[in-house]
Amino acid sequence: MRLIHDTRLLFWRKLLEALRSPAWIVIGISTPLLYLALFMTLLDRLAGSPGFASGDVIDVFVPGILCLMAFGSGTGAGWIVISELESGVLERLRVTPTNRFALLMGAVLRDVVMMIVPALAVIAVVIPFGYDPHLLGILALLALLCLITAATSAISNALGLSLREIGTLAAIVTGVNLPLTLLSGVLLPMSLAPQWMRALAHLNPLYYAVEASRDLAAGTIGSSTVGQGFIVMIGLTGVVLWWCTRVYQKAVA
Amino acid sequence: MSQNAAIETNELSKTFKDRTGPVHAVRGVDLCVLPGEIFGFLGPNGAGKSTTLRMLTTLLPIDGGEAYVAGVDVARRPDAVRRRIGFVGQAGGADLPATGWENLILQGQLYGASREGAVKRATELVELLDLTEFADRKAATYSGGQRRRLEIALGIMHRPEVLFLDEPTTGLDPQNRANLWQHLRELRAQGTTIFLTTHYLEEADALADRVAIIDHGRIVAEGSPHTLKQQLAGDSVILKPRSGVIPLDVLFHELCGQQYVRDGYIEDDAIRLYVANGTGTLPHIFELLKQRNVEIETISLSEPSLDDVFLQTTGRSQRDAGHSQPEDVAA
Repeated sequence: MRLIHDTRLLFWRKLLEALRSPAWIVIGISTPLLYLALFMTLLDRLAGSPGFASGDVIDVFVPGILCLMAFGSGTGAGWIVISELESGVLERLRVTPTNRFALLMGAVLRDVVMMIVPALAVIAVVIPFGYDPHLLGILALLALLCLITAATSAISNALGLSLREIGTLAAIVTGVNLPLTLLSGVLLPMSLAPQWMRALAHLNPLYYAVEASRDLAAGTIGSSTVGQGFIVMIGLTGVVLWWCTRVYQKAVA
Repeated sequence: MSQNAAIETNELSKTFKDRTGPVHAVRGVDLCVLPGEIFGFLGPNGAGKSTTLRMLTTLLPIDGGEAYVAGVDVARRPDAVRRRIGFVGQAGGADLPATGWENLILQGQLYGASREGAVKRATELVELLDLTEFADRKAATYSGGQRRRLEIALGIMHRPEVLFLDEPTTGLDPQNRANLWQHLRELRAQGTTIFLTTHYLEEADALADRVAIIDHGRIVAEGSPHTLKQQLAGDSVILKPRSGVIPLDVLFHELCGQQYVRDGYIEDDAIRLYVANGTGTLPHIFELLKQRNVEIETISLSEPSLDDVFLQTTGRSQRDAGHSQPEDVAA
C-alpha cells in the first residue's frame, strides 16, 4: 500500500515537472513526426526490395520509429537524477521513509507516460498514409513500448545516480545509443544485414523488441517473435528495476 | 544506552575504501545529545563531520559501533529513525521546479499525512517561517534566505523529534542568518532537538547549548561553549612589542615558560598567549616585559572565542580552513 501511495505521489510530482517544460513536449512530439516526414519519404522507393518484401514501407518503418521513441524517452532520466542529486532533492527524499522502489518508479512512469502520448500521435498521423491499425496489435505494441521505456529509463536513472557526472553520463549514453539502435534494426530491418551483424543483433535486447513490434503493428499477435520480444523485455525490465532499486537504496548522495 | 538521550552513539565508526587503502573517516565517536538541546558539531574539513551526520540520518551504512536516534537503533531500524528525524542537507533539497506549497504538501504526504493534514501543517509552517508571500511561486525563483527557510520547513513538516542540519547558514547574509537562528531557537523552545554542523564558530557559540569538536575522526572536545572556552582556551593576551629590542621568538619562549601561561603562538609580529585569568595575569606580564626592557606597541586582553578552542584542540584555525571571515588579530 505504501508502495502504491508513494509511487502515485512521486509520479505526480515528476509529471507536473515535465508538463511545466513545454519545450520538451513540443520536441517529444515533433521529433518522431520529422522522422516520418523526412526519412520515411526517402524509403518509399525501397518498397518491394528485400527488407521490405512484406509490403508497404510504412509497416516496417513505423514500428521502428515507435521503438526508437520508446528507447529515446527513457535515456534522458539520468540527467534529471544528476540535477536532483545536486539540488539535494534526492537526499531529502532518501531521509524520508519513502519506499525506494517508489522513488525510482515515479521517474520511470513519468517517462512511460511522456512516451505514450507522442506514440499515439504518430500512429494517428500514419493512418491516412496507408497504415492499417489492428486494435489488439496496437495495444500489445504499446505495452511493449512501455517496457522498452521503463527499462531504458531505469538504466539511465541508475547510471546517473552512480556516475553523478553529466559529462560521463552523456558520453556513455551517446556511445551506447548508436550501436544499440543500429543493431536493433530500428531504421532499416536486420534482414538486410550480413550474417555477422545479425549474430551481433541477437545479443541486443532491443532487437527482439523491434522484431516483435513489426509483427504487432501488422496485427500478428500470436507469433513466436512476439513471444520472444515480450519475454526478453519483461525479463530485462524486471532485472533492471531490481538493480536500480538497489542503487537507490545504497546511493551515497 | 540511556533511554532519554535524543542521540547517542557508542564507538561509531566508518571506513571508506580508497585506491590507496582504507580511509578511517570516523573512528570511535561517542556522542550524547539530550532532548531539546541545540548541539553544534564542529570540525575542520574532512574531519568526519558529514560522515557522522550521514550515518545518523540513515544516508550511510554504519560500519562499527552503535547509534541510537530518538531511542531507535539506526543500523537495525532505519525506517523507524526516518520517521522521527528531519534532515536539511548542505545542498538544501527544495524541489526547484515545484512551488513552495507543492514541496511542503508532498513532503507531508510522504510521511503519511493525509492531504488535508499536510495542507494544514504547511499553512502553519508557511506562516511560521515567513513564506506566505511566495509560497505559490516555484522554488527556483526564491532568494537564498527564502529557499533555506523553505528547506527548514520541509525538514520539520512531520514534527520530527530530532532535526539534523548540515551547515544551515552557509551562503546566507548576516541578516538572514540571524533570522534563521531565531527560528531555530523557537523550534528548540517547542522541544525539538537540533543537531547542526557548522563552519561558523560564532554560530555555534550563539546558538548551541553544547558543542563537540571532531578531528581526524575522533571527538577532541565536548561541552558547552562557555565551559570549553574556559577549560581549553582561557583568556588570551595579544601583545605586539616594538620591533628590534628582543627577537620575537626569544620573547615568546620566555613568556611561554611562565607558569601562568598555558599556551601561545606567534601571529605575524604579535604574540598570543592563553592564560587562565587574564586580568590577574596582566601585571605579571608587564613586570616581565619591564625587566627585559621590552617596550610594547599594543597589548590587548580578550575573552576566549570558540575559534581559540578550535585552534587548541585541532591545531588548526577554522580561519585557515578558509571558511570563516578573517578577523583583525593584533588589536
